[in-house]
Amino acid sequence: MSSSRRSTIILENLRKNQIRELIASGKRLDGRSPDELRPLNIEIGVIKKANGSAWVKLGNTEVVAGVKVETGEPFEGLENKGALIVSAEVLPTAASYIEPGPPDEETIELARVVDRGVRESEMLALDKLALIPGKIVYTIFVDCSIINMGGNLFDATSYAVVLALATSKIPVFEIIDEKVVDTGKIQDPPINTIPVSVTFARIGDSLVLDPSTEEEACMDARITLTTNSNGEYTAVQKGSNGFLTIEQVKSAAETAKIKGQELRLKFQELTTTGQ
Amino acid sequence: MTQTRSLIDENGIRTDGRTGNQLRDIQIKVGVIKNADGSALIEFGKNKIIAAVYGPREVHPKHMALTDRCLLRCRYHMSPFSTDTRKNPAPSRREVEISKVIREALQPALMLEDYPRATIDVYIEVLQADGGSRCAGIAAASVALADAGINMRDLVSACAAGKVDDKIVLDINDTEDKEGGADMPVAFMPNHKQITLLQLDGKLNSEEFIACLNEGITGCMKVYEVQRSALMQKYFGNETELKE
Amino acid sequence: MQEVRRKFVIPGDIVVEGNSRPLVNVHKSGNNIIASRIGIAEVGRDGAKVIPLSGVYIPRANDIVIGIIKDHSSLSWDVDINSCFSAHLPAQDLFGRDFSPARDDMSRELSSGDVVSARIATFDRTRDPILTVQDKDLGKIPLGELLKISATRVPRLIGKRGSMIQTIEHATSTRITIGQNGLIVVSGKNKDGTQLAIKAIRMVEEEAHTSNLTQRIKQLLGVEDNVQIDSKSRSGAPIDNDEGHDDSMLGDKKSVQSESESLSRDQ
Repeated sequence: MSSSRRSTIILENLRKNQIRELIASGKRLDGRSPDELRPLNIEIGVIKKANGSAWVKLGNTEVVAGVKVETGEPFEGLENKGALIVSAEVLPTAASYIEPGPPDEETIELARVVDRGVRESEMLALDKLALIPGKIVYTIFVDCSIINMGGNLFDATSYAVVLALATSKIPVFEIIDEKVVDTGKIQDPPINTIPVSVTFARIGDSLVLDPSTEEEACMDARITLTTNSNGEYTAVQKGSNGFLTIEQVKSAAETAKIKGQELRLKFQELTTTGQ
Repeated sequence: MTQTRSLIDENGIRTDGRTGNQLRDIQIKVGVIKNADGSALIEFGKNKIIAAVYGPREVHPKHMALTDRCLLRCRYHMSPFSTDTRKNPAPSRREVEISKVIREALQPALMLEDYPRATIDVYIEVLQADGGSRCAGIAAASVALADAGINMRDLVSACAAGKVDDKIVLDINDTEDKEGGADMPVAFMPNHKQITLLQLDGKLNSEEFIACLNEGITGCMKVYEVQRSALMQKYFGNETELKE
Repeated sequence: MQEVRRKFVIPGDIVVEGNSRPLVNVHKSGNNIIASRIGIAEVGRDGAKVIPLSGVYIPRANDIVIGIIKDHSSLSWDVDINSCFSAHLPAQDLFGRDFSPARDDMSRELSSGDVVSARIATFDRTRDPILTVQDKDLGKIPLGELLKISATRVPRLIGKRGSMIQTIEHATSTRITIGQNGLIVVSGKNKDGTQLAIKAIRMVEEEAHTSNLTQRIKQLLGVEDNVQIDSKSRSGAPIDNDEGHDDSMLGDKKSVQSESESLSRDQ
């Protein structure tokens, strides 16, 4: 059951008014312009035991994503495709109000939105990852650990997943006598496109890109848009209790495409040099 | 445990190139988690572990609070990508046990009576696992507790010793843990000379037992030096003395 | 006056061997006094203690604190005072003795997110702290910027006889309200002054334990050392400048602030 509850963070009214006033005049508390990202710091391959990994710092938000590849049964209805499973856990290290335990609705939403961005964009050519169609396929797990909360988990987590996948080296499995054999060789995963998600918060009548914790605490609505390498929209999620106008959605979509392309170039540079 | 191959060569060199009484490389960074009251990242060999401390703070749910002292809660958890084969993110029986022994290793160092009705929560997340992750976790957690400014009698250092090819060696690695003869994790308060964790997995005669324990304590003292200089670096930088 | 010996310590370090009286943040073990916290150890005539450099705020009766209203029950407000205990502000404190939960709407006086300065009226090991706003200059703070520093840095920020905070206030034309719990409200007429004051406060927080901090703060503020400061907007009163020896963690409290046992120094 989902219920509207009080925000876990109580932002003092002094700060709230300050943020609202600033944003109404086109400025932000941390000095950014409305469509400016916080500093983005990415380390590739930090977890040697994973097939691929990325540690993403977006402002104060920190996410580690790791890829693990196994073999298993395909999903129902997708018998000829490899299975991709994206999960996320907000570790209790991440903020004082996080309790250890099964993920809450916000974390589940987060994992599903990130998963959708990767899946619907067909970032991975999953049809090339079937071993015995209908029986045995590659199973690709991307697990995300959120170690510090600093706002805009959606984008930070999405970047971590995409970069961990794009830079991963997955084992080459072969079928010998109907059995799976790990050949000991590795290969690049079949990548079609690089999806990039961009999130906005609506505060008053303005949209701000990449909201911080404090901005999220006083936002009226949130929207996340994912674009692929061709500039097509592949996933959208509106969140939070408020509404968005048609103009706001259009403007968010336009900015998401431009910013998405900028980030994609940065990612491509990282994936070619960062390995 | 059957030994399939020799783990120490004729020159006394181990599988990872170390000598018998040599530790793996250790690095500790203090204050890595911005939101936490205290935190530390330890790299101990291939272990990469984060410890974060929240507290003393209010207890939720309230009925868990103790009237005369502080509650101490501890979670040791491994990320799914931390091991060779993916680990199910749900807590395993092993993690539950390790969480308990880590809490009991830290508790003697803490002056919990100073914070009645509150709680201190210690979260240890293993991002990459190698042998000896519980010891590395304890070392990181104790640094994080000091960073959080909780009243402590002492730091807690930890290190494992063990038997490999019938020799007592320091700081067992993953391969030695799986194929070696014995593994003994030790946690120790260096200034008070008290042992707060002791486990043994394997077979040792009484002579070996004492040798192993001594070796473990020697290891703890070496770990302590790293813990100490990490804290000093964070709080006092390069100033070693107060200038008046 | 006997010389005070100081050194940097972490928990478990020996502060002094042999007979000395344990004061605060230290404990006795055998014949030694041992540090319980990271900080600066001091051994003087009256005993040994550690001035801590980290740690959450532990309430003490009569401390002035700044709190954020979280919620209210029918009889009191819950106030976050940046501590391990949440504080309660009784409705009667604001409404008077004839307060009636049925008639008086508490959220009209103070609602979730409001910032208040208050005094801790009572606190002991068995009960949560109770606040009062019935003193001069206490109550809801309507304007300003709130920031949070470690409570252990508050004495240094105030400085000896208020010297540090006065230097910052004068040079930036701001008014700075400090809670012992590490919450601070800065309000000023112009934005630049407020920003500069916040920068100076952050610098004190970062470098509290270092030598010659006052000089560097003055540099940051563009104030010349040992020259009287002319305040633009406020009284313009000269600040007392006898702070040649203030480069320790020690500082006096402003008059409204309570004597903190752990940090006061014999004059």
